[in-house]
Amino acid sequence: MAIIEFFYWLLLLIVSGIGTMRYKKLTLPFKVLTCSVLIVFLFNISAKVYSIRYKSNAPILQMECIAEYIFYSLVYYYLFKNKQIKKAILASVLIIFIFFIINAIFLQPFFRVFPTNVYLPTQILFAIFSLLLFKQMLLYPLKVNIVKQGVFWYNTAILVYATTMFLNLGLANYYVAHHINDYSLYYFWYFSLYLFHVFIGVSLFTDNKEIITTYA
Amino acid sequence: MPDGSIPILVLSTAALFASIAGFIIYFIVLYRNRQLKNKQEQEHLQSIFRQEVLKARIEMQEQTLAHVSREIHDNITQVLSFVKLDLAMIGNADEKQKQIKINESRELIAQAINDLKDLSKSLSFEHISKLGLLKTIEMEVNRLNKSGIVKAEITTDGEISSLGEQRELVLFRIFQEAVNNMLKHSGATHFKIGLQYYPELFNLTLEDDGAGFSSEMFGKSDGAGLRNMENRAGLIGAIANINSNPGKGCIIKVSLNPLQQQLYIDEDHSNSIG
Repeated sequence: MAIIEFFYWLLLLIVSGIGTMRYKKLTLPFKVLTCSVLIVFLFNISAKVYSIRYKSNAPILQMECIAEYIFYSLVYYYLFKNKQIKKAILASVLIIFIFFIINAIFLQPFFRVFPTNVYLPTQILFAIFSLLLFKQMLLYPLKVNIVKQGVFWYNTAILVYATTMFLNLGLANYYVAHHINDYSLYYFWYFSLYLFHVFIGVSLFTDNKEIITTYA
Repeated sequence: MPDGSIPILVLSTAALFASIAGFIIYFIVLYRNRQLKNKQEQEHLQSIFRQEVLKARIEMQEQTLAHVSREIHDNITQVLSFVKLDLAMIGNADEKQKQIKINESRELIAQAINDLKDLSKSLSFEHISKLGLLKTIEMEVNRLNKSGIVKAEITTDGEISSLGEQRELVLFRIFQEAVNNMLKHSGATHFKIGLQYYPELFNLTLEDDGAGFSSEMFGKSDGAGLRNMENRAGLIGAIANINSNPGKGCIIKVSLNPLQQQLYIDEDHSNSIG
């Protein structure tokens, strides 16, 4: 196991530990987020085991991809106030899920290929949700300092993750098309994941249901 | 490692992170400005609210003092003058008449003492905080009924609970304003007061059978008191509906959600002046 992978697992364990320890103090969306981090951690372990046994971890990554979208969308569903946006999020989950099944059957086989076709639209949707939530935060500012707000860190995490993953996938396609074999992309991928989970950890550390209602 | 792949990655990553960082910093600055703006607005509302509460208290005190002055002049001095007259006539009266005059004077003095006791109660300006809205309105209703000008009755519905001192003070001032208008302008003979306490709704309904007025009154200077009631209701997060037609009396309904927080009211309870 590469050291970079080991530290990633360790980071996931720490972040899920923060969420679990502060579970009672967290608001509902951040409770969902804690569950999602735990599930991502389990998926990563399963992916490793699966790849050792069957030489491919594609099915686990396929499931992780759709599970991540459902969980992070659910977090957004609880964070948004606007009912139309909430409905749009639910509709997007349904559409992405249908597309995921079609993709797994016809385009990128479930047992063999990493689902980039699903990753790309979900990252775009995450970036849109993130920008919309930033707008909502400006409309309803809280009294609390912004760096002490879990929502800010979660939203920053998603924005960073969505945009860097998008760039990552774009570059990966470019490298494949031009037959470039470069490990720097692999490290960049992990760097994005580290950054994302550090922000998620901070969001779980700062979120507190007692401060959520006091508007400035 | 092929040429050109590292610069592509480094450049695109640097550009991406620079734009995200720029966006986040811009957002933080914008957010901070919004917080400051909202804080200033809240402080402004708080200051207006404090001024209104202060005004309401002063008006309440003025009205109480005017009432006391009227009572002393019209009632107690009259009674004591009778006593003085009776006592002056005792000198020339026989024993039986003396006894009658003394008894009469004793009764009159007892009446004056009772009236003074009532007055001393009404001189306490902290009724609302001590007794609450309902008891304070009940005292006013008793006073109105005693005067004989109007027959007032009070009804309550739901579980009675405090709405907070400042809210109750403002509601009481609205009530007093309505009573003043009724006594001065309407010529009403009946006055109904209803207080409804529901978990998420409080209603204060004031209904008289007086002369009433047209909706055009709101625009005139005479309607300043009515507009004042609406403005004051707005300050505590309540809505005042005033319905009246010429010859059909007037209904004033003030509705309030007791659970709804008004930050400039609930945050700082130290804005009491008395």
